[in-house]
Amino acid sequence: MILRVLIACAVMLVTVSVTPVRAESVTPVPKEPLRIVIDEGVIEPLPFATPDFVPENAGSAKMGADLARVVAADLQGSGLFREIPNSAVISQVSDFGAPVQYADWKAINAEALVVGAVNVSGGNLTVKFRLYDVFSGAELGSGLQFQSTTDGWRRLAHKVADAVYSRITGESGYFDSRVVYVSQSGPKDKRKKRLAIMDYDGANVKYLTDSRAIVLAPRFSPNGDRVLYTSYETGFPRIYVLEVGSVQRRVLESAEGVMSFAPRFSPNGQTVVYSQASGSNTDLFTMDISSGRTQRLTSAPSIETAPSYSPDGTQIVFESDRSGAPQLYVMPANGGEARRISFGEGRYGTPVWSPRGDLVAFTKQSKGRFHIGVMRLDGKEERLLTASFLDEAPTWSPNGRVIMFHRETQGASGSSTLYSVDITGRNLRSVRTPEGGSEPSWSPLQK
Amino acid sequence: MHVGQVISGSGHVVLIGWVLLGGLFQSDPLPIEATEVSVISGADFEALLAARQPATPETGPETETEIAQPAQPEGVEEPPVVPQVSEPVEDAAAPEVVATPPADDAPEVTELTAPPEAEVSDTPPEQQTPPEETAVLVPNQAEQAVPLPSDRVAPEPVAQPDPEAALDPVQQDAVVQSDTGETPQEPQEATAPEAAADQIVTEAEKPAAAPRTSVRPPARRPTRPAAAPAADPVVEPEPRTAESTSSDTDAAVQAALEAALNPPSDAPAAPSGPPMSAGEKDVLRVAVSSCWNVGSLSSDALKTTVTLGVSMTPDGKPVSGSVTLLGSEGGTAAAAKQAYETARRAIIRCGARGYDLPADKYEQWKEIEMTFNPERMRIK
Repeated sequence: MILRVLIACAVMLVTVSVTPVRAESVTPVPKEPLRIVIDEGVIEPLPFATPDFVPENAGSAKMGADLARVVAADLQGSGLFREIPNSAVISQVSDFGAPVQYADWKAINAEALVVGAVNVSGGNLTVKFRLYDVFSGAELGSGLQFQSTTDGWRRLAHKVADAVYSRITGESGYFDSRVVYVSQSGPKDKRKKRLAIMDYDGANVKYLTDSRAIVLAPRFSPNGDRVLYTSYETGFPRIYVLEVGSVQRRVLESAEGVMSFAPRFSPNGQTVVYSQASGSNTDLFTMDISSGRTQRLTSAPSIETAPSYSPDGTQIVFESDRSGAPQLYVMPANGGEARRISFGEGRYGTPVWSPRGDLVAFTKQSKGRFHIGVMRLDGKEERLLTASFLDEAPTWSPNGRVIMFHRETQGASGSSTLYSVDITGRNLRSVRTPEGGSEPSWSPLQK
Repeated sequence: MHVGQVISGSGHVVLIGWVLLGGLFQSDPLPIEATEVSVISGADFEALLAARQPATPETGPETETEIAQPAQPEGVEEPPVVPQVSEPVEDAAAPEVVATPPADDAPEVTELTAPPEAEVSDTPPEQQTPPEETAVLVPNQAEQAVPLPSDRVAPEPVAQPDPEAALDPVQQDAVVQSDTGETPQEPQEATAPEAAADQIVTEAEKPAAAPRTSVRPPARRPTRPAAAPAADPVVEPEPRTAESTSSDTDAAVQAALEAALNPPSDAPAAPSGPPMSAGEKDVLRVAVSSCWNVGSLSSDALKTTVTLGVSMTPDGKPVSGSVTLLGSEGGTAAAAKQAYETARRAIIRCGARGYDLPADKYEQWKEIEMTFNPERMRIK
């Protein structure tokens, strides 16, 4: 044993003494790859294909086509994707489990491919899909399956689109969401207003109130089950809470003759921040919904209104004219010293904190035009996204990528229409509603 | 005046001279020819005329000659008798009696109020002094180009290509076969890069408005990536099957001997051929950039820099299965995954037809590390 150890030590010494000699004689050069840095790219919609979902039983073909159209409309409507029309498709998908002919999809420059299947059985609907990265020749994520009743087929399509959006962009989608807004009809001087709720794309409109009293500024609760709004039912503006499912409502406690308006939920849904007018002064208050206890947040002799919580509930951004003209301010959620964040030329109003927490959307009036814009919380990087005779009331999509607002046209016969725009300023498009619409509020993603 | 007197005086002198001396210069009269004529009486003259007239009188031009009628052509039938058929005339329906329209109701007459009289003042308006004429200087600098509104945003703005040109990152002219050409060329379609703007133009930023910043693309300097710490290739000795009867020490001895006497035979060789020039690297960089679409990346992924490794075939095509994520910086793992997938798509998609790389330097670009840094794309 000892002998073997000695031999081993001797061999080690030989190794140490021989290796440098060889190294000096060969001098191996490490093989270096070519290195380049790509720091500029392009920004354009990603081309994708969504052939009709494969029907798995008789009578599902139409449903498969309808589902594919809604998925494609969702993705294309986001402005981040561009659908390749079916007329250009080479390879037909007739079997959900069949291997994908990547060459055929590469030939039409489809970078992403959504393949789905549908099964309608009685009143039940089953939808499944797979997403493929065509040029990489691999599946993005794993297949998913959703089940619902046939009445909810649009929601299933929105969920498929959300999953595709999330897997490609890396952020959650916003398609399976709803919007509550003020539906408007009639001329401006005799306009009838009522609360309405719809899918984010304008489908499935339902009315929550009648048009006997003027309603204003509906706001979704953080989980989308309730809506706050202001109504002139008693002659004075008062704040109501409406259960979306049962359409039951109740008024938030407030003293008679006191005007309360511009309410908004806190992120936990337990507190409401709102404006209350007293004489010529308007201040911000909070109210605990369950107990009705109120707390004053501001006491300046100026007008403070349009409060909006930060996503973590610790701060409030609001509008105030304490500097002489309406500007945006940020203060702690329990009140305290406010910090001005808008310093540009013009008048700022209706600030809304982004769900991501990094931006504030606002309305700006400057040089006779209205704009919807965004800025950081320190007031930097202000970017105006729109411009028209009257743009107002921005609301964020659940993922903080899109802003919806209303645009009113000029004149006595002017109408109000809902619009959406990406936070980059691209993809400005109108949202079709049966009547005119204003003051939208976007719900969170539905469960 | 003197001229008139001289003329008058001269005239009188000539006249007086002609009166006094006219007889001295009288010439002989011209000779006259005389012809003898005989006078005859009227009766003789009549007899003379009668003797010259002919015996028969001439026919006068008033003589009429009858011209024979032309013969009637044979076979001419008498004109057919056209039966006069009178179409039965339907009894026209009696016109409906149109009731007399009721008289219009008398319109309500509403007296219009007289328009207000225009206020006229007698004092004439003051005329404004026109501005002084000033010479308009032609600007030396052309108007700044406005940013192109386009769905595609790229580092360098690209105008709308020729509609007949196929979209391709590389612009090339069409080549058609020519009978006269000495060097035959394969026909090819014209290609042009897709139209692109160099920045996003929002509705608030009017396209007609002058851009706040120069539309000139930012100066691009070929950047050499910082040399990554070259990890020494770890050469793992191949496991050898030791005899089951030998102890661990035997195995260690055997391994040490192998390592000492048989150094790794696959020692890396230096890349052959001349090094890649900056221009050649730039061609590759621009080609990959044109397919690196960050439009669908999340804001978190746009803060993530990823480095990918890829093996290349000799014809310049990336090996799809060889694209690997070597490292990431600045974002979450999920963001790095999105950034990696986007970069991988760029490498494979734009390399589908092979990158334009020098074949004689294949060893130089056989393995490529590409670092995708989206920092400059966040402000687009």
